[in-house]
Amino acid sequence: MAGDKTTGIIFYHPDAAFYQSDAYAAIRDYAAGLPGVRSVIDGLEVDLSCLDTLASVIKKHDPARVVIAGVMPGLIKSAVARVLSETGKDPGNIRLVDWSVLHGLNGQWLELTKAMLASAVAGMMPEECLIPSRHPVHPDTLVIGGGIAGIQASLEVADAGRNVILVEKSGTIGGHMAMFDKTFPTLDCAACILTPKMVEVGQHSMIDLLTCTEVEAVTGVPGDYTVSLLKRARRVNLATCIGCGTCAEKCPRTAPSEFDALTTHRKAIYIPFPQAVPNKYLIDPAHCTYVENGKCGVCVKVCPVPDCINLDEKDQRTEIKVGNIIVATGFQVFDAARVPQYGYGKFPNVLTSLEFERLVNAAGPTGGNITFRSQDKKGNWIFKGDSDTPSRVGIIHCVGSRDENHHPYCSKVCCMYSLKLAHLVKEKLPQASVYEYFIDMRAFGKGYEEFYERIKEEGVHIIRGRTAKVEERNGKLMMRSEDILNDRLIEQEVDMVILAVGLEPREDAAALAASLGISRSNDGWFAETNRCLEPSTTFTGGISIAGVCQGPKDIPDTVAQASAAAARVLQSLVSGEIAGSIKAVGLQTVEDQIKNK
Amino acid sequence: MSQRVDQSLVREVEKFGKGSWNECFHCGNCTAICPLTEEGFLFPRKSYRAMQMGLKQTLASGLEPWLCYYCGDCSTSCPRDANPGETMMILRRYLTSVYDWTGLSKKFYTSHWWEFIFVLILAVIMVILFGFINPNPVDYTLTAEGSVRINAMFPIKWVELGDWAMAILVASLLISNILRMWYKTVIQDKSVKVSLFSYIREFYLLVVHFITQKRFSKCEDKNYWLSHWFLMTGYSIMFAVIVVWLPWFQTEKVYLWYEPQRLLGYYATFGLLFGLIVAGVGRIRKKGVKFRFSHISDWLFIVMLFLTTVTGILVHIFRINGMVEATYISYIVHMAVLVPMVIVEVPFSKWSHLAYRPFAVYFANLKKSGQPVKASVQS
Repeated sequence: MAGDKTTGIIFYHPDAAFYQSDAYAAIRDYAAGLPGVRSVIDGLEVDLSCLDTLASVIKKHDPARVVIAGVMPGLIKSAVARVLSETGKDPGNIRLVDWSVLHGLNGQWLELTKAMLASAVAGMMPEECLIPSRHPVHPDTLVIGGGIAGIQASLEVADAGRNVILVEKSGTIGGHMAMFDKTFPTLDCAACILTPKMVEVGQHSMIDLLTCTEVEAVTGVPGDYTVSLLKRARRVNLATCIGCGTCAEKCPRTAPSEFDALTTHRKAIYIPFPQAVPNKYLIDPAHCTYVENGKCGVCVKVCPVPDCINLDEKDQRTEIKVGNIIVATGFQVFDAARVPQYGYGKFPNVLTSLEFERLVNAAGPTGGNITFRSQDKKGNWIFKGDSDTPSRVGIIHCVGSRDENHHPYCSKVCCMYSLKLAHLVKEKLPQASVYEYFIDMRAFGKGYEEFYERIKEEGVHIIRGRTAKVEERNGKLMMRSEDILNDRLIEQEVDMVILAVGLEPREDAAALAASLGISRSNDGWFAETNRCLEPSTTFTGGISIAGVCQGPKDIPDTVAQASAAAARVLQSLVSGEIAGSIKAVGLQTVEDQIKNK
Repeated sequence: MSQRVDQSLVREVEKFGKGSWNECFHCGNCTAICPLTEEGFLFPRKSYRAMQMGLKQTLASGLEPWLCYYCGDCSTSCPRDANPGETMMILRRYLTSVYDWTGLSKKFYTSHWWEFIFVLILAVIMVILFGFINPNPVDYTLTAEGSVRINAMFPIKWVELGDWAMAILVASLLISNILRMWYKTVIQDKSVKVSLFSYIREFYLLVVHFITQKRFSKCEDKNYWLSHWFLMTGYSIMFAVIVVWLPWFQTEKVYLWYEPQRLLGYYATFGLLFGLIVAGVGRIRKKGVKFRFSHISDWLFIVMLFLTTVTGILVHIFRINGMVEATYISYIVHMAVLVPMVIVEVPFSKWSHLAYRPFAVYFANLKKSGQPVKASVQS
């Protein structure tokens, strides 16, 4: 193909400012110099809202084959194909280079983009020339995060007979799923299907479970990583604690319970929840009187096991060697107070969906009774279960999601969990009315549409129109929305409002990505190597991603992706060799590959 | 009622201002947050929809854009950054051109050269008329109070005659356009039958809304209502005084400060300057949502009204201090700005909203009284 210049390259980027950047100039110059390249057309020349101009520009350059490079180049592929066929060329002769997944790779981004361009111009798939080096692999695997994704991945690898070190930041594994009441669309009790897996992790001979532990730094090469771990002081001996609870009974200090989404209080020495794994107590140093000023130690005195509680225990740093790392750090929920018009934090009966999950949970603060928040002696609004039940409940979708002021992306799970919450209200309070306000109803999975239909049949009022604001009127909450399908304005009085808050990357995601050397997509989620075909690998060899940390998804998808990540790990462990980082493949290597073929 | 979809509508409306036509995903947030929207007149979303869908007839027969006072709450909270508030502003410009039968409104809004040249021609005519054709000599003698004899060079009866001619021209254009607006929005709407009694009963609200602008005060930001109210009342008083009562207002006598000629003049000047400075500074600083986008017609209006006010003040100062040439020159400049401003702005451009707004409220009330009230929301 070299020699005759037949290839046209079209750059396609949604942000016109990109064409002014140095990076673009570098890519463009590189592309123009590739063998066989006839002309380079940048997106500024083409008004993509008007395909006629695209056609005339392409006809002017008259290429026999086209490479479309940029962000989501497939969007204009069909138009380009039509032009090629009109000019008597083969419309199949188009290759796409999508560099959007490379976002956040900093220095390597440019090299990789050039490499992908070179391979496309040469008529090869990127995989054919972006061949990473092979390395011997250390047999142990590190899993970061003990939610359902981390649990599933750990079990997959451990059940195959390989060693797993599972690191969890909090005092127990289980993650967000342990907090949920039911799962959609089957309405399984979340705890009932999760806790057996948690126990399995706790008892597995191939899994080394490290709770209260964080990853501080990662060094080394794929297959041979050295990971520094910070083990925070639990101050309770995991081996000897019998979980009797005497300490918590006598502890004088309280703090909001993380497990109950801060809607109740626990003691400063506590067990996160009764089914926690490991089922042992721990001390919250931020609220412990002894840690603060050295004066207390009641728990030590009442503990029936000698030397079980050591209030002077210090944080420790250790290093471990692993071959593979699976990142499964999950998400945090959107802070509803960032949308002031919904009055979260101002009106006690405006709740987040996570708070409502705890409220409606039979093992939750009210034993599953849906009641209003009430004030404790110190004036904190908590769930005690001693107040009235609501007769009208409003649910607002897309809080923080699909919103240019917050997160433009769809959080994917909120429509379905909102329907589930509506069902749970109807189940517990059959007389109550539920008003659900949505923008678009996204019931996209197996059995989901049927679930939606079922909830509608239960008599839940499902209204198209985003609630604009929640106000207090005559002691009731008033939701103001446009009922789009009925062409009217609704001012709906309710007793309780549930905000379907979206998912967002954890605060520490950027730091973790930096220490692991993996990239993040524009919205902050960890980036996979290919949106369609490689959802669980990264550009860094030996590091896989699973669960919501890669992008919002529900439990079935999370579990599937965790198994996929484990399959990648096992692939290297079985073959004894691991693929190095794609990002480390030099441009020269790629060019050599192309020349050789 | 079926109607033809006009696919070029978006392209046509686009000429009246840069909008975000594709952003809206129709969540209804803008309508729900709007303090002015009401049953039967839901906006901004539905107007946005009509525009996106190419429903020209729906758009032309809608009063909604005029019922919006652009507080900007919709744009601030819009999850798509679709600027519904600005869309309503653009639709107001578009509707002004729809009501205008001369076609000049569309020319002025969509091509600023048309507007500039039209203004320039009128200004030159005024300068020629007052400065060169005017047969009266410059009178250097002062009155007993030491002020300039302004009516000597510009005899009040001729100026008044010109005033009335201009007023009749502008009023007939504006009234004919309002009749067209009435025809499109009320008569053509077959779903409503309005009784004669309603026309009479609702009329007082037209006056009330014109004077108080009380719908505007429903918007969150009360400060802007105040400055807009000062601007409106200042302008209206000045307009009435110079058109209807010119012989009473423009005399050679220097009135004492408490006499009504002077009080009204001062109030109107203050109102105009206050409103203009708030709007002008707001637009320069792009302060808040409503001032973020400025169309050329917004600026032309502010600048011309500001120049008119300033030259008016200068005429006043020069006259009472006996500065003859300065008085005459500033008077000619004042006329060269004021006349084009009134002729271009009142019937064809931004200033027309002073009539369309209250009439839209009037027509909306007529339509509301003409149809059965919809069932209230279930609880």
